[in-house]
Parts: sequence; structure tokens; C-alpha cells
Amino acid sequence: MTVIEKLANNRRTLENRLQKLLARPVFLIEADVFALPCGCCGITINTRGLQVDDLEIFEEHIKEYLKEASEEMEIEPSFLFARLIPGTSEIASLNSRILCNRCYMDFSRGSGKSPRPDIYILELDRRE
Amino acid sequence: MKLYVPHVGHMEGLQDLLSGPEDIYAVYMAGTPDYVGTGRTNMAAPGIEDIQEQTEYAHDRGVKMEVVLNSSCMGGQHLTPQGYNKIHWYFDRLNDIGIDSITVAEPYFVEMLSRDFDMEIVVSVLSFVDSPQKAEFYEGLGADTIVVDPVVNRDFTKLEAIRDSVSCGLKLLVNEGCLYQCPFRYAHFNFFSHANGPGPKLNVLEDYYYYKCLSIRINDPQQLIRSPWIRPEDIKEYEHITDTFKIGGRTHFNNWILNNVRAYTNRDYDGNLMDLLDCPRDLRDLFYIPNKGLEGALEQWKQCDKVCSKCGYCKRLAERIVQVSSVDGMQQTLQALNNTDG
Repeated sequence: MTVIEKLANNRRTLENRLQKLLARPVFLIEADVFALPCGCCGITINTRGLQVDDLEIFEEHIKEYLKEASEEMEIEPSFLFARLIPGTSEIASLNSRILCNRCYMDFSRGSGKSPRPDIYILELDRRE
Repeated sequence: MKLYVPHVGHMEGLQDLLSGPEDIYAVYMAGTPDYVGTGRTNMAAPGIEDIQEQTEYAHDRGVKMEVVLNSSCMGGQHLTPQGYNKIHWYFDRLNDIGIDSITVAEPYFVEMLSRDFDMEIVVSVLSFVDSPQKAEFYEGLGADTIVVDPVVNRDFTKLEAIRDSVSCGLKLLVNEGCLYQCPFRYAHFNFFSHANGPGPKLNVLEDYYYYKCLSIRINDPQQLIRSPWIRPEDIKEYEHITDTFKIGGRTHFNNWILNNVRAYTNRDYDGNLMDLLDCPRDLRDLFYIPNKGLEGALEQWKQCDKVCSKCGYCKRLAERIVQVSSVDGMQQTLQALNNTDG
């Protein structure tokens, strides 16, 4: 299976799992694999119709689904997070990202789930 | 039927749009955003020479050209001496070019155009004319044609009252899929007007309104049914109001636009209604609404007093016919999805 076939399959499967979990439509409008100049890389799955409440209630389920989606793409699920639209109940994307050292310092500072108003951390493997 | 058709704004697009046998009465496109913006996203920023060239091309093919400058918020720039002079100069150029009509949302522009120029003045859908009183005001300012706010597309008493109150032309926008009574409508169009108009340009994080717009419909798909679109098959029900109809969607590919032209010209579409709707285009990959399954719904809406919490017709209809795309291209109705074990 090629990377794009895997990605397409991944998007469909995750959308389907979320719809079944929430028993209503959820739309994963785009799935991307990315590499940034800083050294970070990972996947971003842009969502529509997914709400912060869904995440808070079904956090463990959603985290597990995202973890599996990440592993499917051979991306180590060391940092899983949702990007929110600040000040709203909307989730813009679900993300799995292998952090570069600099970004790791940014995201890992503090121990809360939200180092920035638009970030909701689902999982972050702490480094030594 | 006079059909106004969206055009993305460049010559290649226009040549392609007018290359087929479709019956297109007029095309419309945005103008140069440096003078007056538009209330919707644009794909092009044609200069005066571009507009002139394209106007001549359309006229050679017997098609009228309309330029849309329907910014819903000018931030007061038009009321300054510099702003007035700049905009007046631009209107003058468009007039010289020979465009057939100009669509504006700002009442001041309606009066300015009426006093100083000969172009047909079209009051934009973004002037939100939804009553006979507003229609009378705009006609008084000099409007030649009013594009009626689609919020009353299913309120025939209002439509007939507007028709009876003015002598100017009326135009109906057939495929706007905006939320019925959308709470974001004014704020979103004002935002677009600044984003797609003269500076200063905004450094925006996210289009909050569009996120909410999609999210509300995904979470409550009956909103898709409530939106006041007009099915191609139902055009005949509106012919006592007007013979002029407008297809929205000037950021779409020509293939999409021409599919709409054919559907509305033939008054028939056997497919997904979402294919025809302009605004929530992203959702056509999530929802399938069989257009033919909506046959007869207009008869219900004609009698509807728009108290959704008491009526529930759109909700029941949505549950019955709206299908949600699922893995492997399979689709299931909302009813089936709601019954899924989580």
C-alpha cells in the first residue's frame, strides 16, 4: 500500500470510528502528512463538527483512535493533541507530531493540557 | 428565464464558461478589490482592462456582464472625500467600459450610481431585502433590480408582497445554502468585505464563522433542509414572482457552475442536492441528499409558519432522506447512524 492509499484509508477509518462513537456525523475534511523545517513531522487531520465536549467526554477513545491512526502511518504517537479555535467549542484538527527539540521545549513547558489557548494535549511522552 | 451565472473572473475562465451550448443570459464577476470589495471570497482581482476585455467578449456572445461590488461594510471609507473620489472614479471607468449592471450592497452606492451613471443598479442579496418596506426604500434610492434575501425564498406571502410593492425588477438567488436565520450572516459578510476589499488587510487566525457554519450543520443536519435553496424543479413555482434567477458560486470550477446551469435550465436534477449548493460546498462529501426525494416539500414550506420547534417537518424529512457518507463509500441515513451502538 502506498503512503497516499494508507492516508486515505486512515482518514476514512478514523471518520467512521468517530461517527460510530458519537452516533452522529463527524467530518474529517483533510488528512495530511507533514514535515516542518524545524524538524517536526507528523499527521494533521482537519475536523469539522467535532466539539471540545466530545473530546472531554470521549478523550480516551479519541486518543486511542488517533494513536492507531498515527501508528498506521508509521509515525510514533509521542505527542497527540487537538487544535482548538480559541474561545469556541470547535476543534480544528487532531494531530500526531514527532517534536523537534525546540518545539518539544515549547509544548512540554508546564504540566497542563493547554500550553496555548488553541492546544489541547491528549498525550505527550516526556523526555529525560 | 433569465439566468445570471457566476464567473471566477479571468478571461480563460470566461472563454471556457461560454464555450458550450448552455443558455446563459448574463455572467457576473467581482471587480477590483482596491476600490470596493465584495462580501464573498474571490478567485480573481481583475483590473479595469481585464474587465473591459471580458465585457467585450461576453457581449460578442450575446451575454450580459455584471460586476459585483457588494461589500457589506466599507468601514466608512466611502464617506471620506478621498474614498468618495476613488470609488466614483472607479464607477465611472466601469460605466465607460460598458458593463451592463453593477451589484452593490451599500445604500449610498445605490443612490450615487442612480444619480451619476446609466448602468443598471442591482441591490445585492447582502442588502438583506426581506420585506416590502426595504424593497421600497431601495427602489426609492434608485435600484433597478433587487436580489431578494433568500431568507424569504420559502415565504410566498412576503415574496408576493415585495413584488407588489415595487416596480423594479426582482432576482432570486436559487442555490445559497446558508443557514436559515443564520446568526453569523452579518458578521461573516462584514468580515469577508474587509478581507476582500481595500486595505488594511487582516491577519486572521481562522474563519470562525465558517467553522461554526459547518459544525452546526454536521451536528444538526436538518439545517441543510431548512436552508432556503430553491430546487431546479421548483423554479416554476416562482415564475409569478420573477423570471430572473441567479446561481451563486463564483469561486467554483466551471464544471460545477455549468452543472448548475444545466440543472436550473432543465429544471431537473437527479443527484445530490449538495452538488448544487454554493455555500457549504465542503459538506457534499459528507452528506447525500437525493434531490428527487425532496419532491413535494415546497408545498409544505408554502404553508409553513417557520416555527421549527412546533413543526418538525424538516427534521423528519432530514432523518428520512439525508444520508451520511461512511467508510468504503457506503451511506447510511441519519436515523440509522443515530441508532448505531457507540
